[in-house]
Amino acid sequence: MSLSDLVLSIADNKQMLGLRYAEWATRAPSLEADIAAAAMGLDDLGHSRVLYGCLEPLGADPRGPERETDSGSLRSLPYFDELWTEWAQFVAANAILDTAFTLMIEACVNGSVEVLQHRLRKMLMEERYHFLHGRSWLKSGVDAAPLNLAWQEALEWFGPPDGETAALHREGRLSIGPSELRSKLEENLETKAPAIRMDWKGWDPVRRRSRPGAIDEATFAMLRGLEEKKFAVAPAKEG
Amino acid sequence: MTSYKRVSGDAVEYEVFARKTRVEPLHQVGSVVAPDDDLAVAYARATYDEERWVEMAIVRKDDIIELWQPGET
Repeated sequence: MSLSDLVLSIADNKQMLGLRYAEWATRAPSLEADIAAAAMGLDDLGHSRVLYGCLEPLGADPRGPERETDSGSLRSLPYFDELWTEWAQFVAANAILDTAFTLMIEACVNGSVEVLQHRLRKMLMEERYHFLHGRSWLKSGVDAAPLNLAWQEALEWFGPPDGETAALHREGRLSIGPSELRSKLEENLETKAPAIRMDWKGWDPVRRRSRPGAIDEATFAMLRGLEEKKFAVAPAKEG
Repeated sequence: MTSYKRVSGDAVEYEVFARKTRVEPLHQVGSVVAPDDDLAVAYARATYDEERWVEMAIVRKDDIIELWQPGET
């Protein structure tokens, strides 16, 4: 796994996070939360575009043609595979996963790779508001099940203590490694991660997840622009 | 399933102030309703960030000390 693989993972997850946020733009518990969901969705979709744009300057774009046909080739976490049906799922993703992605971006910004130092910095400013939103809702109390799942997937996504993310840290390309990422996530959220048994045997280092699966077909079609094409105006015939 | 009570009716109103340039004064651009300062900050930014403000601030409406109101002068 290279730094490009990690950046692609952040990008794919940000893209899915943005889409799932946006789905709640008319379903959140208050009008203010609706607007915040829409705004955060737009932010994260924009962040994903910036991250995809970093792949070429990094020198090795890991995206292959399979991404057009195989939803299982995308690198988003299982948490985003299905639509969220409960507000608690939104809050858990907002507080835990969004913050986890931000901490990794911060590790890139403070690492030694120039293109990431420059291009990702603005995201950290925007993410401050996502964090305040997620932490506030988290403090209000939400169901344990989505929280535990989000913690599990965030800690898995940071990677094993002796894996390639840790190697990127040792090389200086990331300013912190998996164990510090976990500590910072707990510190920022002012809570400890639940007791989770990490089993790295089944962990996929490319998709950074243990659970197989992929996003739903409708979302995959939307990502590829197939939904929009249904409404496209046919070009006028010449002559 | 948890029931959520943090809807607008249970929360506090905050006034939102902003300005586009350093030379102009802050002026009120709207308000948000939130149960705490952190969420009010997030809501204010999400709701009123469409324009290029150089500064934005919020204040709890209850903290504003009024000198007089319309019709009292």
